[in-house]
Amino acid sequence: MLIDATILFQIAGIGIITALIHTVLKQVGKEDIAQFVSLVGFIIVLVIVIHHLADLFQQIKSVFLLKGL
Amino acid sequence: MKWFGALLLIATTTYIGFDMSNRLSERTKQIRQFILSLQMLEAEMEYSQLTLQQIFQTIGKKTSYPINSFYSHLAEQFDFVVIDFLDVWDRELDKLITVSALKKNELEIMKQFGRNLGQHTFIQQQKHITLAIHHLQQELDEANDQRVKYEKMMKSLGILIGLFIVLLLF
Repeated sequence: MLIDATILFQIAGIGIITALIHTVLKQVGKEDIAQFVSLVGFIIVLVIVIHHLADLFQQIKSVFLLKGL
Repeated sequence: MKWFGALLLIATTTYIGFDMSNRLSERTKQIRQFILSLQMLEAEMEYSQLTLQQIFQTIGKKTSYPINSFYSHLAEQFDFVVIDFLDVWDRELDKLITVSALKKNELEIMKQFGRNLGQHTFIQQQKHITLAIHHLQQELDEANDQRVKYEKMMKSLGILIGLFIVLLLF
């Protein structure tokens, strides 16, 4: 079974970096911006994941021959 | 090629971050220079009683980069007939703000100071100088606070945002 691991590392990296930015901003007392950055990071990851989930559903559809529906 | 582009991107954002943090520390230095120059102006007025042009020349020689060009340009302007000193002063200040890290507040203080330069007796003039120095000192304190607070943040944010964008595009 072949799995492309790049996406995992990408999401993990985005998570780590967002957390770091959050920490840095929180340290200087810009809590509001820190929250916003976290939110943006979350949304970006969500978009990536949804993109791939859509692929997954397409695959399932094709497996069960539901293409026409 | 991909890696090269990623490195370039990170280098750019890192540079931007360092530049912004540099700007913060430059601002405190330049305000300090301005305060120093006003003190020199006061001393020159009191003891040597030179003309404004000569005073500006000596101050221009004694201060460092962005401030000295301001004063030497002012001195140069006096080579021609100056109809409206205020106009010259404001124009030079506007020029200064484009090359220095100074902000609008300092500019406004100096513009206000220019309104009173050469309009009064020495004692009153001295009061105006002290007032301007006082205002600048306040700006300096504020700039110092900001520098301590944001200098490190700018540096790390530069690198982090670079990494973030690279990861997004990967």
